[in-house]
Amino acid sequence: MRTEDLIRHLAQEPARPSFDGARLAVLLLAVLVSVCALFLLLAGVRPDLGRALQEPILWAKPLLPAALCLIALRAAVLSARPGQPLGAWPRALVVPAAAAALLWLRAFALLPPDQRFAEVGPLSLSECLGLIPLLALVPAAVLVALLRQGAPVRPRLTGLLAGLAAGAGSATGYSLFCTRDNPLFFVTWYGLAILVVAAGTALAAPRFLRW
Amino acid sequence: MLPPDDDWSCLMRAALAGDAAAYGRFLREVTPVLRGVIGARGRGLPRDRQEDIVQEVLLAIHAKRHTWAPDLPIRPWLYAIVRHKVIDAFRAGGRAVHVQIEDVEEVLAADMVSDPLAARDLAILIGQLDGRSAEIVRAVGIADETTEAVGARLGMTEGAVRVALHCAIKRMARFAKGARP
Repeated sequence: MRTEDLIRHLAQEPARPSFDGARLAVLLLAVLVSVCALFLLLAGVRPDLGRALQEPILWAKPLLPAALCLIALRAAVLSARPGQPLGAWPRALVVPAAAAALLWLRAFALLPPDQRFAEVGPLSLSECLGLIPLLALVPAAVLVALLRQGAPVRPRLTGLLAGLAAGAGSATGYSLFCTRDNPLFFVTWYGLAILVVAAGTALAAPRFLRW
Repeated sequence: MLPPDDDWSCLMRAALAGDAAAYGRFLREVTPVLRGVIGARGRGLPRDRQEDIVQEVLLAIHAKRHTWAPDLPIRPWLYAIVRHKVIDAFRAGGRAVHVQIEDVEEVLAADMVSDPLAARDLAILIGQLDGRSAEIVRAVGIADETTEAVGARLGMTEGAVRVALHCAIKRMARFAKGARP
């Protein structure tokens, strides 16, 4: 086909609705909330949630992953527009990570050596490292599918950000079930679980983000 | 922040609002830039393969035109798409490619200055516009009609007439600097 004919043909097609990042983010958050709600319905919210919420440190368990999720989600949506600068959003990911690191160091300093890693065991680890990625599967897949409507020019980065958002979002929900309150436990293992989801999505997503 | 005001952003904004003529013009203006980039970086490829890649990039621009945010400049968006698709196309053909589109566009722009002595006579500049844009500029700029009257006559909304007029004036400014129509 001659290029001029192609252009004439393309010019006839109607305009499409604009890529709406905000709508995409809301959809993904709805999926995350639904998946986490279903999980908490089946597995049960931690029985001592009321008491736990009275301890300020334990607010970090849901809030830090939630912050990470929202920042990563914003960056992922921006990365789906070609030529769009990501601004400070990728750097902002450091903030919840640094806060978590500080919590970890504080707990390390305050706890006697025999209590530091007492909660680590095959059951607790497999629960944490198993459930968070499992919960993140559907949200990560949905997010990648939604981002396909854009035009990501760095698909691996977009995949990484999408995985971070899905993993952190799932960790937020999981934290309402988990009763292991030692920051040396939850910062380490939630962190690892989130990174596993991020890395997995970064590897798998580019194939689906081609256009 | 005012929306970006250069001619391509102007055309594409009109295109996204449904102006098919503006969209066609945008694609036609972008095509020589694409040919330049692909020709420069794919020198070993046969002509028809190069033109295939040009068409692939045009299709990609078309498929993803809804990802341009009208309040941002269009060139970074365009170049990101072109870079991505050209690398894809060349990689599929087994070549590694490093594309610096900004360099190529400068070369092309310099190339496009046809006649440095082009007259700045308004009629000549108008004559270099397409039929509809010329009609609008003559009607509003010379015959002093209102944009509503022109719109009614041509079957366009007043807003569309104003946008088309704005774009036409920008093009005439480029012609005055010697660009080829």
